Amino acid sequence: MKSKFFALALAGGLLAATALAGAPAHADVKIGLLGGVSGPIAAMAPAMIDAAQLAFQQVNEQGGVLDGQKIVGAVGDSACSPQGGTDAATKAVNIEGVTAIVGPHCSGAVLAAAGSVTIPAGVTVVTPSGTSPEITGLADNDTVFRTVPSDDFQGRALARTLKAEGYSKVAVAYINNDYGTGLANAFKSEFEAQGGEIAGFAAHEDGKASYRSNLADLASGGADTLVIFDYGDGTGLTLLRQALENGFFEKFIGGDGMKSDAPIKELGAENLTTFYASSPVGEKSDALNVFNEAFKAAGGDPDAIFVTTSYDAAFLLALAVEKAGGDKAGIPAALRAVSSGEGEAILPGEWKKAKELIAAGKAIDYKGAAGDLNFDQAGDVPGAYSLFKVGANGFEVVSEMK
Amino acid sequence: MTFLELVNFYIIPGLVLGSIYALGAVGITLVFAILRYAHLAQGDLATLGAFVALAVVTGLGIPPLAALPVAMIFTAAVAVGIDKVFYEHLRERPKIVTVMASLGIALMIRSVVQVIWGVDAESYVRGIVRPQTYFGLRIKDREIYTVLFMLFLVGGLMLFLARSKWGKAMRAMSDNPNLALLSGIDNRKVVMLTWIIAGGLCAASGVFLGINTEIKSMMGWNMLLPMFAAAILGGVGRVEGAVLGGLVVGVAEELSVLVLPSEYKAAMAFVILLFMLLVRPTGLLRGKVL
Amino acid sequence: MELIGLANYALFMGIFIGIYALLALGLNIQWGFAGLFNAGIAGFFAVGAYTSAILTSPYAEGRLGGFEMPFFVGWAGAMVAAGLIAWPIGKICLRFRSDYLAIATIGVAEIIRLVVKSEETLTNSARGITNIPRPFGDLPYVQSQAAYLSIVLLCLGLCYFLVQRQFNAPWGRMMRAIRDNELAARAMGKNIEGRRLEAFMFGAALMGLGGALFAHFNRSITPEAIDPMVATFLVWIMLILGGQGNNKGAILGAAVVWIIWSMSEIATDQLPAEYAIKAKYIRLFLIGLMLQLVLRFRPEGILPEPTRGESRPAQVSAQEKD
Repeated sequence: MKSKFFALALAGGLLAATALAGAPAHADVKIGLLGGVSGPIAAMAPAMIDAAQLAFQQVNEQGGVLDGQKIVGAVGDSACSPQGGTDAATKAVNIEGVTAIVGPHCSGAVLAAAGSVTIPAGVTVVTPSGTSPEITGLADNDTVFRTVPSDDFQGRALARTLKAEGYSKVAVAYINNDYGTGLANAFKSEFEAQGGEIAGFAAHEDGKASYRSNLADLASGGADTLVIFDYGDGTGLTLLRQALENGFFEKFIGGDGMKSDAPIKELGAENLTTFYASSPVGEKSDALNVFNEAFKAAGGDPDAIFVTTSYDAAFLLALAVEKAGGDKAGIPAALRAVSSGEGEAILPGEWKKAKELIAAGKAIDYKGAAGDLNFDQAGDVPGAYSLFKVGANGFEVVSEMK
Repeated sequence: MTFLELVNFYIIPGLVLGSIYALGAVGITLVFAILRYAHLAQGDLATLGAFVALAVVTGLGIPPLAALPVAMIFTAAVAVGIDKVFYEHLRERPKIVTVMASLGIALMIRSVVQVIWGVDAESYVRGIVRPQTYFGLRIKDREIYTVLFMLFLVGGLMLFLARSKWGKAMRAMSDNPNLALLSGIDNRKVVMLTWIIAGGLCAASGVFLGINTEIKSMMGWNMLLPMFAAAILGGVGRVEGAVLGGLVVGVAEELSVLVLPSEYKAAMAFVILLFMLLVRPTGLLRGKVL
Repeated sequence: MELIGLANYALFMGIFIGIYALLALGLNIQWGFAGLFNAGIAGFFAVGAYTSAILTSPYAEGRLGGFEMPFFVGWAGAMVAAGLIAWPIGKICLRFRSDYLAIATIGVAEIIRLVVKSEETLTNSARGITNIPRPFGDLPYVQSQAAYLSIVLLCLGLCYFLVQRQFNAPWGRMMRAIRDNELAARAMGKNIEGRRLEAFMFGAALMGLGGALFAHFNRSITPEAIDPMVATFLVWIMLILGGQGNNKGAILGAAVVWIIWSMSEIATDQLPAEYAIKAKYIRLFLIGLMLQLVLRFRPEGILPEPTRGESRPAQVSAQEKD
């Protein structure tokens, strides 16, 4: 019998806790912020969530949404796994009662959460970092969006840019997950189509302590340039360090995941003179500057990975909530409307202006920190990229990528 | 590929990596032999050690090697404390209960590390170190002292086990606990010693991994499976076996790139292990069959 | 919060608990009744999930698939495939006892995980398989969840019934005899290797079914789902907490662990918003601590193995020899 009491006590505790948690202030609009706080991308998630919170903070400081209501970010841990993703999403949708969701961060969690929770529940999700091409093909009733371009865009753009800049023989090292695989395959096919030579192409597992043999193997192909598709504050940092220390390659090119301040902080800018990274930017690059200033002022690091896309996802959702009048079902259409490419330009943080324009019934067009974000039919955004190098004050734009 | 390239880019990194695995595997093998369960929090204890050393390095401004003893003592104390608070009550229970408890401890240690130090990748010394060339061999200083320290620590441990009274008591407990208890060996002291040694070596393995790469909150958990493979490969209860096992796993992981696609690197340790268990279930050096 | 939301969340938890209960039940056959320390649950989970995904999902370029079979064919296929793959693994690994078997099965599961993650033509590598049909998936949210929950419960109930019946049958008695005193069982002329292999394959088949149910529920399966922490160790915790050797205990354990998992997040969400991210780390601590507490005060599990007959020597003594 004792055991039954135990189970009952647990169940009772759960109910009490949920009841406690579920008493929201009625005036607030909740938006879920689901991220891989624990698990393999734990190092990236906090900055991404902070960036999204910054967007909500700006909205709240400039009058809030609808009739002055506050936007509250409900943080959930998707743990970068389908199990964690669906659990966090179900909680957000059912217990927190969110209007829409920024996240989850990892593609696997996005696919699972969308398939089992948010698509059936009709809640819109905007993922800032789920880059898998599989997300494009989801039968999602138009409720799954992303502010990060699919890997395809970036891989191809990077290949064309490198070829145009005279690189003809490169080796590619990529992390064995959806992000790395997608980028690497797109890069490879485009680079070869342009007549370049891939002198080494290998995936690596996350979290190993040494990659020197991988690097030696890649270097044996004779290329002097290494293209790295990985995360700059994770395995990518280890890889870059070991490549630099052992002199395996002369030049290093990273995808957007490598544009992190961790390599600068840990390896030193003086050692990174031959390191370049691509990253999405808007056509109006002042949007990025505006965001950088604001995020710095809030104590964040604008060079952290995927912070721009996270901020944009949050700000866009706030705009969409305003446009749709708080109606959950109207958010997908509103998302498209506030970022259609037509109407008055809105830069990051310009909430008051946007709110007035929406109230006046005028069209607005959000120009995000990570690009112009005009969603296509599948809810994807095309990318505009620039190549960055490490300068005295962090990353600086070298050239635009076509 | 020339012979020198093979040595420089595959064997030497493999030996360094293997030394790091070996330090953790020695702790695992001792706990296995004396307490008779698989301790799954070993990896996260290594993480804790690495971060304690980081706190000392940044706090006092001393080099990481000088911080190593502090980290080892601290982690050893934590290991003893964990045993007292959590494992001791379970000693009379089926061993599987303690294995599960150690899994919970792993989560708790990771959580403490993440709350205190955050989740960013850190390093002891900023910047990069290029290797020196000795007769065509490209070696970094820190690689030399990683291997030397490992040999020194393990050598000291073996001397302790072979010569000292308490070392003999530990071996007796490992060989035949009932007989050892009958002959008046204080079980509690032996258990405490085991944790001091396992915790200290764990911290050393974490610190050396940190010195050679970066310090991350998941670094220990990622090392756990290869360390277990090393301990079993060498033969359970054999300290020198764990060292050998660690080196074999380390070198094999690095060499695997030559024959397997590189994404299968992590599988190499297990392929060797499975093969070893099939042909020689007692491990490289004759260990226990549990 | 509306009541409907809470009900929805309860439905969701019910589905997850049901799926994990199947895994725990499978493990109970292997560990609780046959004494096999299988630490490679994730591998059989993956084989089941991917088999069913490949059999039922629509055609996609670049990978095996496009069979579009009905879901029950996929689930049967998952059980068969997981059981079949357990055969060679068991043949090789079951000769190792206890902890050696654990490390060997962890190794096999890791190898399966790497294959799933890397072989594009088989499993679409790291991107995983999407658009897996979910039975009654076209219904509205609540109804669809409720329908799926009833399917999961039906599967679980059926498996529980069959397993329970088998355990009370001579086969079950023989398994327990082998576990508790291998030598005596061998002296009685029992085919120990064969029986162990049977238990290993049955258990694996249930794990495969659990994987298939999981994939269809999420309409997708990606390699991130077969991480050893969430797909192996978590199941072990469930079985040990619930009560090894007791089928009801295995199911109850799954429920308790998911409730702890969930409750810990709700508890840490009470912290002020500045700590929103730190709260998630503290949550891991709470989960670990709860585990310690339950193990401390109910080390034999919430529902211990029922003792049969008059005085069966405690299982404890048998395992301590391991």
